[in-house]
Order: sequence, then C-alpha cells, then structure tokens
Amino acid sequence: MSRTALLAGAALSLAASGALAEDALLDLSYKTRFVGEDRHLRDDSVFGPGLPLTSFGRDRARLEGEARGKAGPISLLVTARQSAREGERAEGELVANEAYSNFGAGANRYTAGKKILSGDVGFGFRPIDVLQREQRLQALPPALEGIPHLAWEHYSADSAWTLVWANPTHERRDEPRDDGSFALRHYSRWDKTDLHGVARISSRYKLETGAATSTVAHESLELHSSFLVQRRDERRAPLAEPAATADLLAPDRALRTVTLDNPRKLLLGGTWTVESGWSLLAEAWYDGTAPTAEDWRTLAQQTERRRALIGTPGVPDAAVNGSIAASTRLFEAQNLTRRSALGRLAWTDPAAGGWSASLDWLHSLEDGGWAATAAMGWEADRLRLDAGLRRYGGKPDSAYRLLPERGLLFFGVSLAF
Amino acid sequence: MFRTLLAAAALLALPAWAADVKALLKEADSYRLIDQSSRVDTEVRVFKRGKLDKTRLYAVYVKPGRRSLVVFRSPSERGQKMLMLGDDFWLVMPASQRPLRITPMQKLLGDASTGDVASMTWAEDYDGRVEGEVLVDGVPCLKLDITGQRKGVSYPRIVLYLAKSDRRPVQAELYVASDKLAKEAAFKIGVVDGRRLVTEMTLVDRLQQDRRTEVHYLARSRKALSDEYYNPAFLVRADLDN
Repeated sequence: MSRTALLAGAALSLAASGALAEDALLDLSYKTRFVGEDRHLRDDSVFGPGLPLTSFGRDRARLEGEARGKAGPISLLVTARQSAREGERAEGELVANEAYSNFGAGANRYTAGKKILSGDVGFGFRPIDVLQREQRLQALPPALEGIPHLAWEHYSADSAWTLVWANPTHERRDEPRDDGSFALRHYSRWDKTDLHGVARISSRYKLETGAATSTVAHESLELHSSFLVQRRDERRAPLAEPAATADLLAPDRALRTVTLDNPRKLLLGGTWTVESGWSLLAEAWYDGTAPTAEDWRTLAQQTERRRALIGTPGVPDAAVNGSIAASTRLFEAQNLTRRSALGRLAWTDPAAGGWSASLDWLHSLEDGGWAATAAMGWEADRLRLDAGLRRYGGKPDSAYRLLPERGLLFFGVSLAF
Repeated sequence: MFRTLLAAAALLALPAWAADVKALLKEADSYRLIDQSSRVDTEVRVFKRGKLDKTRLYAVYVKPGRRSLVVFRSPSERGQKMLMLGDDFWLVMPASQRPLRITPMQKLLGDASTGDVASMTWAEDYDGRVEGEVLVDGVPCLKLDITGQRKGVSYPRIVLYLAKSDRRPVQAELYVASDKLAKEAAFKIGVVDGRRLVTEMTLVDRLQQDRRTEVHYLARSRKALSDEYYNPAFLVRADLDN
C-alpha cells in the first residue's frame, strides 16, 4: 500500500507543482460504490472444523471511493476502500490502482508507471493474460491494480509491438503478477480478425509464449481463441500418498508445490448477439496448470483422515483444524479444474431503459461440478445497481461441490459524479 | 421503341443523379463537420416523458476513410472508448483496459447515442436519389432517399430533407434494418465562428414513445490525429483522455 500510495502522492504533487507546462489541471471523475456479499457455508462441508480459521462463509462489505482521470500528464486511478468481513475488524486502505504517464510521439511511444496490463480475448479464462493475471468470474470485483512497468510501444496503422519491463525492481515475489519480467506483445489486424501474440520471460515460469485471435465472422457472431505454452509452472497439490500423519497435521505442509514442465492453456469461444438484446456466449477451455479431478478426490480423502484425528489423545485439535484450513488454499487456483465450459445468456434492454440481466453456467467437464450465477443490473444517469445470486454444486467429489460455500448473494450500488 | 429510348435515357441519366446526390450529401455534411479530420465535442441529453433522464459527454475524432474514435467523457463512463474503422468496431472498458473487437450488432445494442454522435458524414456512407421537392415547416426542401453502402451504419435507410436554398439539413427520418422508422431528426443551424453549422440535432424516437434525445455540438476543431490513434491497440493509451 505504501509504495502505491507514494506513487499516487508523487503524481498528484507533481501535477500541483505547476511544473507541468501544458495542462497542469486536475481532471478527475469520481465514483463511489458499496458492495455487499452474503455468503452461505455448506453445512456438510468436509472442511467444517477448519473453516472458522478461513474466510469462507463470512459476509463481506466494502465501500469504495474512486478517482479516475488525469493530473497533468499523469493518468490516475486511485481507490480509497473501507472493507469489512464478518467477525473481523474493518480495514481501510488507499490504493493507486494506476499512476502512469504516456509519452512519445509518432510511431514510437512510451509508458512509465503503474498501469493495468490486461490482455487476451476471452471472458471466462484468459490464457495469454500473462502480465495482469486477472482473476476471472468474480462477483462485483474491485478495480484491478496495475503493474508497475516501463514500456516501449511501436505503432503502425494496423499493428503494434510493445516491449514491457514489468516490476523492474523485483525478482520473484509471493504472487506471480508481482514477479519481475520482460514481455513482448504484438497486435495486428487482418481484415475481420485481430491477432495477438505474447512472449514473457520470468524466473518463475521461464518462457511463456502464446497467441490469441478474435474474429467477427458475421454481423452477430464473434469467435475467439487463445493458446499459451509455458516452459514451466508451479501449482499447489494435496500431499503425495501415502501421506504420513505428521504431515497431515502440519498446517505449513498441508499442500505441496508441484512443478510442471511445458503446461498448456487453451480457450475456444464465441458470442452470438441478436437485435432483441439477447446474447449467448459459449466458451470451453483447458488449463494444464489447474488441479486435477484426482487432486480433489485426494484432498477430500486426506481431509477425512485429518477429521478422524480430532479427539485423538496427543493430537491437538488446533493442529487438525489448522491443517484443514490451510488445505483449503487449493481453492485459490485460477481454475478449479482443467477442462471447463461456460455458457452465458445475457440480455441488455434494447430500448436503452438501463436494464440488463445474465445467467452464467460454468461446468467442469472433468468432474461434473458447476457454478451458476444469475445477475441483474440497472443503470441510470449516474447511478448503477447490481444484484445477483451464485450457487455451487455437482458430483460429491467435484471441486465445486467440495467448495466450503454453497453460494452467495451479492449486491452493489455505485454513484458517479 | 419509345420505351427502349426511355430506358436508355434513364440509364444515361442515372450517373448524373447519383453524382448529384453525393454532391448534395457533401454540402449537407459541411454543416456538420468543419473539416474532414476534426474533433467534435458533443453533449447528449436523453429525455423520457419530457424529463431529463441522462446526460452523456463525448469527444469524437473523425478522419476520412470512415474512421471515428469516440472518447467517453461522462463521469459514469470515464475511461471508455469506441473505435470505428468502416464496418469494424472495438470497445475499451475502463475495468480491464484491453481493446475488444465487437460485432455490428453489439455496437447497435450499446448506448444508441454513440452511433448518433460518431456518424458525422452522410456522403461517405450513403447513396440514393432525389425524390422531389417538399415543404418542411415552411422551408422548401429536396427530399433524398438514401441507403447505407455498408453494413455497419446505424441506420440502413434515411429519408433526408435538405433546404433547397443552401443544402443545409433540415429534417431526417432514420430507419432501422427492418425498415421501421426508428427516429426523426431535426437540425438546428447556428453561426459558429462566422460559419453556419448544425448546433443541435433533436432525435424523436418513434419506436419508443416519450423518448427524445438532444445532441448538442459544443465545440468543433480541426484535428488530424495520426494513423496510430486509430489502431485498436492504441486505445489503451491515455493520450486523448484530457
């Protein structure tokens, strides 16, 4: 927080200093947003004893104030956030989601600072989003936080090359998005098709290369695809079997890290939109870095073994509960299973009345689990309201059925000014 | 024999009619754009049942070759951009900062006013014929029936009324793909920097009752952005955000 707040402060003070000859004015728009989540625990969750030590099932609320715009040549997105979780103290933070400057002229352009670097063409999964690494399919997520970087960009009318030095002072950090890396991105337009290419090198994943396409095949139909191959990856997995009881009771060893050689990610999808305001998005993807169905079965079995140790003389309950809680970090994977399909039926009021609705069905092709989301929105001049419901289910050993939550209700109110 | 001669005469006359219509549309366009490469700042006010429902601000950069870049300036839409290159469209939403290729249908289902403010010329996109002369609110007008020459236009057919005296746009009937009358447009002319220009376009919705949109042209300036600004990958840059 301190580094990003400093960046924002520096940008603002730079603007206020009057040293910016051309346009030293603050030009900001503001938005305030309240988001509430009512989360429901699964009463029969196998992870039950460890859940009080996790954030599963805790209702959440956050109040955000967002300023977006420019201070002289500095582009800013700053968020002040007060968030609370059931049973925990409320926390406040100030985040400079973006604070960067674009400069240069003609074909060669430059960017310095912290900026959102999303990429790729998909909705539910974005294999070549190797810099921002955006978590997809969240309900009313907060604004993304950018990546500090330096970039050289070269543009022609139909193509672009971008060389990015991300997190310049970092080597390997806890989260992959915070790792130092170099990336080369390419874009070119070929008739009705966009082509995207990326190559990134970092100490964690070594070389990652990928490509994506988006094509307008018909006035109502868009088709897209994306593919990534990594030199290596790391993922969490349950303990290798046979697991020793001592390991099962050690929270810091509840999961192991597995190294993968040459994992691949692939997405295929399309969107069909009709004049009445309805659209249907269909996507299917493979993520070679996600947990396998066998991983979830193993985790469920190991959790049962941990639970069986409760009350055993000489085994502290705290160790059992702590291990169970730590093992739920497997649910933090970007995709819970390797092969998934998403269908999204959405409607936007063609009469511009401000109403919209969507029904999402995410299905694991690997273990039969599913996540279903129904949402509605209404937008007026400056006000936007959102509300929705999400449910998880599936076969007993499927990842979504094992998820300690049955689902959640969410709602949001935002006001722009 | 007489009919053959008539048909031949009609065929010979056709290019002249077509050329006339293009010339008329170019004259009409000169009341909307001061230069083929321009920046136009626009305020759109949408009224429902006579009450102001919402206000939207846009900066539109147009360039020959059917290129338009719309920068959304309203607080609720800040950071959003739309690029139109002929029949191809891209959208950047502030939440994810990546250019998304969208279909013509997705563009039509977006805020309708985007299409109304981004399309600043008829001559490049339409062709048709002069149907005759009529009086519109007491103004002698040429009645033109013009059709879009490409798929991506917001209105595939327009019946356009141009003042006979100076070719200024007076009124237009805008039809959607099903050939239903969608909107009626009326143009207000004012003097801006010594030049007569359209200062306001009022659109009365005929598909949804009680809906009216006012498009106010706040400022126009000559601005020729270089080609890279019309590259979809360039949309994520903030060079035009002021």
